[in-house]
Order: sequence, then structure tokens, then C-alpha cells
Amino acid sequence: MNPEQITRQIALIEAILFVSKEPVEPGRIMEFLEIKDIEEFEKLLAAMEKEHLGDRPERGLLLKRSGGGLQLVTKPDLHDELKVFFTIKQSTKLTIASLETLSIIAYRQPATLAEISDMRGVNSTGPVKSLLQKKLIRITGRKKVPGLPALYATTQEFLIYFGLNDMTELPSLEELTELFEEKEQPSLFK
Amino acid sequence: MEMEIQGYQVQTDFFEGPLDLLLHLIRKNKMKIVEIRLSQITAEYLAYLESKKGINPSRESDFLMTAATLIYIKSRSLLPKPENPAEESPEKQLIHTLIEYEKIQKISKMLQDMEYTELLLWRRLETGENFTNREYELKEVSAFQLAEIFFDIVKKKENEQFLYISSKNYSIAEKQEEILILLGKNGFIDFSDYMAKLDSIEEILVSFFTLLEMIKRHLLIAVQEQLFGTISIYSNQAGKLDN
Repeated sequence: MNPEQITRQIALIEAILFVSKEPVEPGRIMEFLEIKDIEEFEKLLAAMEKEHLGDRPERGLLLKRSGGGLQLVTKPDLHDELKVFFTIKQSTKLTIASLETLSIIAYRQPATLAEISDMRGVNSTGPVKSLLQKKLIRITGRKKVPGLPALYATTQEFLIYFGLNDMTELPSLEELTELFEEKEQPSLFK
Repeated sequence: MEMEIQGYQVQTDFFEGPLDLLLHLIRKNKMKIVEIRLSQITAEYLAYLESKKGINPSRESDFLMTAATLIYIKSRSLLPKPENPAEESPEKQLIHTLIEYEKIQKISKMLQDMEYTELLLWRRLETGENFTNREYELKEVSAFQLAEIFFDIVKKKENEQFLYISSKNYSIAEKQEEILILLGKNGFIDFSDYMAKLDSIEEILVSFFTLLEMIKRHLLIAVQEQLFGTISIYSNQAGKLDN
């Protein structure tokens, strides 16, 4: 590919991502640009990020992978000023109750409300409802036990919200234990 | 690192639930979960409940449940017990739950950190204007999504003032005819529009059940044109979801 073609393709990728509200599957762009080799495409993205987007201090955007797609997002250090411009006082964060509920669903999905409440030791109807409204979880079906309770699983919005590309990016339970053990050791020397 | 550890314990006065409180007491007493001295913990747990007036009543019951378990465990330990190692003792169960809950807390903390990083990145704002043409990707919707919209509409209807003249009886069979005729005429039904035009809650209910029944029998198909878009009902004999 000659440099002109590369420039053209980078421009097209940027334009596509600019227009899209949701992350765009890399496969679709590759098909459109007739790029067969994933490595070639990755090189193109790397060049785009390095020479034209994220690594350029005068640009406000960077290339982000989440929910299995590509997306343009603003740079993190612009956050505070953007908040002023758009007059947003506080970004709404999830409550601890919601985070705990999500943790359980993420790691043992599909899970029922009873299982979630059991593990948290508290009735979790509230957080489940609010997570459903936020579309971070969805009902995938019903468990074949008496009462046919709804089964909950995480959604693509969940991946996007936490900046994950897919579920495998969440550390496994074994990795987590190691992670926590490392984290906790320093407290012994306090 | 120290900052981080303290960061999670901001809620000294407010606990997510009985397990959270128990873990707090265990940490405070520098115990390990597996070597927990239940008598000490039980006393402190009960002292906390007594000192706390006016916990949210729906949560209070969960705290009391655990208090009962703690007292039960304590009373069991005072009695001479027959050796039966195969039996799952309530103490073991509680310890197991606590270990699991501690993991959940840590995963939550991880998710919270991830959320924090992600909230710094802004995405395209949801703007109302839609400039794509009508060749949407059609996605089949589930009964749960239909039900969600249904409840929205019922809520709206409830706020309207009705002048009741006479009550009419609706039957599913009649409704089905009506829906099929409407589909024959228009080709599709916009779910929200259709529901909103109906006269009474009774009619909405009957229509909704009719639609669900017909979708279940694969006479109709409900599709959503895009995320958060309107839901359209098509007759299924034309058959194709993606054309």
C-alpha cells in the first residue's frame, strides 16, 4: 500500500468512528476497506493513534476499544474542563450495592435474584432493578426451578461502561486472588 | 497503597448489609475469617444493632437474620455436640459466605476503579436526530422488552381522565382478527402507537396478551429497528426477519 492510500484509509476510519454513536466492529471496517490481514489493520490503527490521534497533544480524542468495537472518545485529562462546558456537576456513579450486584452477575452469570441476595446477605431487588434500567444487565431467561426466577446476565453496555472489549478481559477468579494477595501484603508492614 | 485500603472503608457508619458489617468487625479485630472468634464478633454485632436506631426497615430484617444465625451458632457451641464432621455446620456456612462476600467486595472495588477510569472518557452524546435511512438492522425483541414498553403505556394511561360510558368486553379472538386486519392493511404495527391509541386499560391488557400469544405461536414477529428504537410488529408469514 502506498502512503496516499494509507492516509486515505486512516481518514475513512476516523470519519466512520466519528459518525458512529456505538463502538464499530473492526471486522466491518476491515471488510469495507478490503483489508484481509488483521495485522495490517492493527498497524493502520497503531499509526492512526500514534501520528494522528491519541499521541498528538493537540488532538482531543483517542482511539478506544470497548464492547468488541472501536470508538473515538475524549482524552481523560480533558474531563474536568468538559464538565464545566457541559455544566455537569457530578458524573453519576454506580452505588456500592449496584457494584456488588454486578460483580456477582459478571462472575456467575446467569444468576437469579435469590442467588445474588444470598451472596450479598441483603435483599438485592433495588440494585437489580436499577441495573436493568441502566441496561447493564438483562434477563436471559428463567431458571428451571420452582417459581421460575429470572436469570440475569451482563450486556454489551456493561462491557462498554467498564471499558472492556469482551468478558475474557475480566481477570479470572484465580488471577483475582493473586491480585488481592499482592495488594494486601503491604498492609502487614503498616 | 495505604490510601487505597482506606478508600474502601469510607462507609464506617453505613454498611451494605450484615456481611459487610461482619467483615468490618473481623478486620477491626484483626482476625482472619477462618479463625474468627464468633463470641466476640457476636457481642459487637449485637451492640452495633442496638446502637443503630432507624436502619432502613427493609434492610433491618437482613441484619436481624444474621444476628439470629450468630446467636444460634453461639448457643450450639455451648452445647455438647455429637461428632458429625459430615454435617455442614451453620458456622462453616457463615464463614464460607463471608469468604465469598469478601471476594465480591474486592471485585466491586475493581469495577469501581474501572468505572472511574472510564468516566473520564467521553463518548458521543446521545443526540435525538437520526440521519440514517430506514434500512435498519432489524433485531428481534424479547417478551421482556415488550412488557417494559407495555408498562410504560399503562402508566401513561392511568394518568388520563376517562369518562366511562359503558364497559365493553374484549376477547382475545376478536382482537386477533382486528390485529390481522390491521396488519393486512398497513403491513406492520408500531407497538407503542397502537397501544397508546386504545381506549381503556382493559383493552390494552387484552391487546397485549393477544400480541404475546400470537408472537408465541409465531404468527407475528416483534422487531426493534435499533437500540432504544420503536418496536414494530410484523406478520410472520412474510416470514423473513432480515430481508
